[in-house]
Amino acid sequence: MRRAGYVAGVTDTRHEYDTLAGLYVPIGAAVVLLVALLVVAFAWRYRARPDDPDEQRRPSRIHRAPRTEALYVLVLACVAALLLWRTYTVEGRTDHAASGRGLGVLVTASKWHWRFDYPRLRIVQRGTDDAPPTLVVPARRTIDFTLRSLDVIHAFWIPDRRFKRDATPGFVSSFSLVFPRTGFWRYGGECSEYCGLRHTWMKFHVAVVSPAAFARWTRARQGGAA
Amino acid sequence: MTAVGAAGVRPRPRRGWLGTLASTDHKALGAGLFTTAFGFFLAAGVLALLMRFELARPRLQLMTLHGYDELFTLHGSTMFYLFATPVALASGVYLVPLQIGAARLRWARVALAGWWMVIAGGLIMWMGFLTAQGAADVGWYSYWPLSDMPNSPGIGTDYWIVGILLAASAAILIAACVLATIVTLRAPGMTMLRLPVFTWTMVVTCLMVLTAFPALVVAMGLLLAQRQLGGVFSGASGAFDYQHLFWFFGHPVVYVVFFPFVGAIAEAIAIFSGRRWFGYRPFVLSLLLFAALSMSVWGHHMFTTSAVENRYFSLTSTALLVPAGIEYFDALATMWRGRIRFATPLLFALGFLVLFVIGGTTGIFVGSPPLDYHVTDSYFIVAHFHYTLFGGSVMGLFAAVYLWWPKVTGTLLSERLGRWHFWLTMVGMNVTFFPLFFLGWEGMPRRVADYPRSSGWETLNAVSSAGSALLLISLLVFLLNVARSLRRRVPAGPDPWGGQTLEWATSSPPPPENFPAPLPPVRSFAPLQDLREAAS
Ligand code: HEM
Ligand SMILES: [Cu+2]
Ligand SMILES: [Cu+2]
Repeated sequence: MRRAGYVAGVTDTRHEYDTLAGLYVPIGAAVVLLVALLVVAFAWRYRARPDDPDEQRRPSRIHRAPRTEALYVLVLACVAALLLWRTYTVEGRTDHAASGRGLGVLVTASKWHWRFDYPRLRIVQRGTDDAPPTLVVPARRTIDFTLRSLDVIHAFWIPDRRFKRDATPGFVSSFSLVFPRTGFWRYGGECSEYCGLRHTWMKFHVAVVSPAAFARWTRARQGGAA
Repeated sequence: MTAVGAAGVRPRPRRGWLGTLASTDHKALGAGLFTTAFGFFLAAGVLALLMRFELARPRLQLMTLHGYDELFTLHGSTMFYLFATPVALASGVYLVPLQIGAARLRWARVALAGWWMVIAGGLIMWMGFLTAQGAADVGWYSYWPLSDMPNSPGIGTDYWIVGILLAASAAILIAACVLATIVTLRAPGMTMLRLPVFTWTMVVTCLMVLTAFPALVVAMGLLLAQRQLGGVFSGASGAFDYQHLFWFFGHPVVYVVFFPFVGAIAEAIAIFSGRRWFGYRPFVLSLLLFAALSMSVWGHHMFTTSAVENRYFSLTSTALLVPAGIEYFDALATMWRGRIRFATPLLFALGFLVLFVIGGTTGIFVGSPPLDYHVTDSYFIVAHFHYTLFGGSVMGLFAAVYLWWPKVTGTLLSERLGRWHFWLTMVGMNVTFFPLFFLGWEGMPRRVADYPRSSGWETLNAVSSAGSALLLISLLVFLLNVARSLRRRVPAGPDPWGGQTLEWATSSPPPPENFPAPLPPVRSFAPLQDLREAAS
C-alpha cells in the first residue's frame, strides 16, 4: 500500500517507535504532572482553616465559564490533532506490507512453537516445545515476513524491533522489518497472544549476523540439509 | 406498617437474610447487590495475590501453567462481570431513587431477579474449580478458536460461559430498571438537566449497558453453541467476527465500570469543596460524547490483526481525550476557590484524579497503532488497565463507600483508619502497577506464569509483588474500619458532610418510603446547596 510519506525501502521500526514515543511520552508525563500538581496545589491553597480568624471566607459561587471551557476544548482538539497527524505519518512507514525485494521468511506459529522457512534458500528452522528455534537474519537488509498460524491465534513479537503482529489461523499477514545491529537475542522473540498451556514458553531466539556471516550460515545449512 | 399498596410492587421491608434476598426495596436490593459484588472483589483479589506470588520470582513455585491460566481468567472475569459491573449498577440501584426524590425503583422485581442472576452466575463460574479439568482457562475475552472445544475441552469453560450469560443478562435488566427510574420517577421540578451529577453518570452507564451488553450475550451464546454443536465460527473470518462482537461490548464495559465512580468523585469533590460541581452542562455533554465515542473505538483492541481500519479506530480513540479533558477541567475548577475539607471520601477522589490520569494518558498512547504494536498484550497493557480499573474504578468506589456509608448504615466510619486505608492503597497501588509499565516496554508478555532468568525482569516483578502485599494490608484496614463502624454504631445523622443532593435530606438510613417529609424544592442539580447558599 503506497501512502503519503512512504519511502521505498523499509524503515527501522524501532527508530519510528522511539520517535513517536518521544512525542507521546513527554506530553503524557507533562499532563500527569500538571494534574498531580494542580490537585495538590488547589487542595493546599483552598483548604479550610477552622482555627483561622478570617476563615469566614465563602467558597466561590462561580460555577460556569463557557468561554474558557470552549477555548480549552479547542486546545485539547489541537493536541489530539497533533498526535493523530504524527501517528498517521509513522503508521504509514511501519505498516507497509512485504516489499517483495527483501529476504523472504515464512513464519509459522503452532501450539507451542515457531518455525521459520526461508523458501528461496530452502532452509527451515524448526523449533520444538522444549527447544526454541533461532531466527537468523542478515543485518541491514529488508526481511519480508509472511506470518500464519496452524491452530489458534498467536502473535509474533520482537520487542527489540518494537513490533508485533497477530498470527490468525486461516489468514496470512505480511510485513517487513530490518535489523540494523548484529547480535544474539536470547528469547528475543515471543508469542504475545495467549494461546493455551505452553504460551508462557513459546519463544524463539533472534540472531542478526553480518551479510557475509549470513552467506556462510546459508551455505552450511544448505550443505547440512541436502 | 404495611406498605403494600394497589401498585403491588411498593417497597416491602422484610427481615432477616432471607427477607433481604426477596426484598424489592431498592435500598436492600442495592446494598445486597453491592455486598455480593464486593465479595467477588475480595475473591478475585485473592486470585490476584496468588498470581503475584507466583510471579515474584522466575520459574514455577506455587502452581502449574494450567493453574496460572485459570487464575488470570477467573481474576479478570470475576473483576469485570461479577464485581465491577454489578457494583457500578448497585450504586445506581441504591442511590438513584434517593437522588431524584423517588420512593422506589421502577420494576424492582426485575432488578431483584438481576441480583439473583449475578449470584447464580458467579457460583456457576467458580464451580469450574471443582471440575476435573479446573475452571475456565481461556482468558477474560476467550478468543475463538482457542476457546473452542478441541483447544479448551474443560467443562469449566462452559460453566464460565453460562455464568457470564447470567451476569450479563442481569446487568441489562438492572440497567433497564435504573434508567426507567430516572426517566419516569423524578421528583416534581427535577428536569433532566437538574439531575444530580452522579445520576447523570448513571444515565450514560445504563445507556452503554443497554447498547453494549447484548453483544456480549450474543458472543457468549454463539461461543457456547460453537462448543457444544459447532458450525458457528469458522476460518479467519470466524476469528475476526468473534473479536468484533466481543470488543463491541469489551470497550464500553470499561466505561460502564468507570462512569458511576466519576459521578461519585464529582459529588465528593463538590461537597468537600463547599461548592457545586463546576460546568454542569459541558460535563453532561462530555458524558454523552464519551458514551457515543465508547461505542466506536472497539477496533483498537485489534490493531495488530491487520484486519481493521487502524486509522479510523485510532481517530476515535484519540478523540476520547477531549471529553476526558473536560471532566478534569470541571473537577479542578470545582476545587478552585473552594473551602476544602480533607475527609476520607475527598482523599480517595483526589487519588482517583491522580491515578486515573496515568491510565488515561497511557490509553491515548496505546490508541496510536505504531505504539500499540509494541506494547499491546504486554505488561504495559496490564499496567495501563489496572491504572484505569484500580486507580479509577476502585479508588472511585472507595470514595463512594466513604461518602455514602453514613447514609446507608446510619453510622460513621473512622476517619483515622480511612486515612491509613487511603495512603496504603495509594502507595501499594503504585508500587504494584507502575513497574509493570517498564516490564511491558522491555518485552514481558502478559498471561505468562514464568519468565526467563536471563530477562532481567526479576527485580521489577519482585517489587510489584511486594506492592500487592501492601494492597492486601490496605484492604484489611478497610475491612477493620467497616467492622468497627458496624459494631460501635456512632450515629451519623441525616447529613454529616453538608451534602448537596436530595438523599441527604432524609434520615440515615432512609426509611422504606425514602422521603416521609415533603421534599425541598428542586431548582437545580444541587437543591440542598441552593438552600444553603440562599441562607448565607
Ligand atoms: C487488587 C489488586 C490487583 C492485583 C494485584 C491484580 C493483579 C493482576 C495480575 C497479576 C494479572 C495477570 C496479568 C497476566 O498474567 O497477564 C491481572 C489481570 C487482570 N486484572 Fe487484575 N489485579 C488487581 C485488581 C484488579 C481489578 C480491580 C480489576 C478490575 C476491576 C482487575 C482486572 C484485571 C483484568 C481484566 C485482567 C486480565 C485478565 C486476563 O488477562 O484475562 N484487576 N491482574
Ligand atoms: Cu501464545
Ligand atoms: Cu478498548
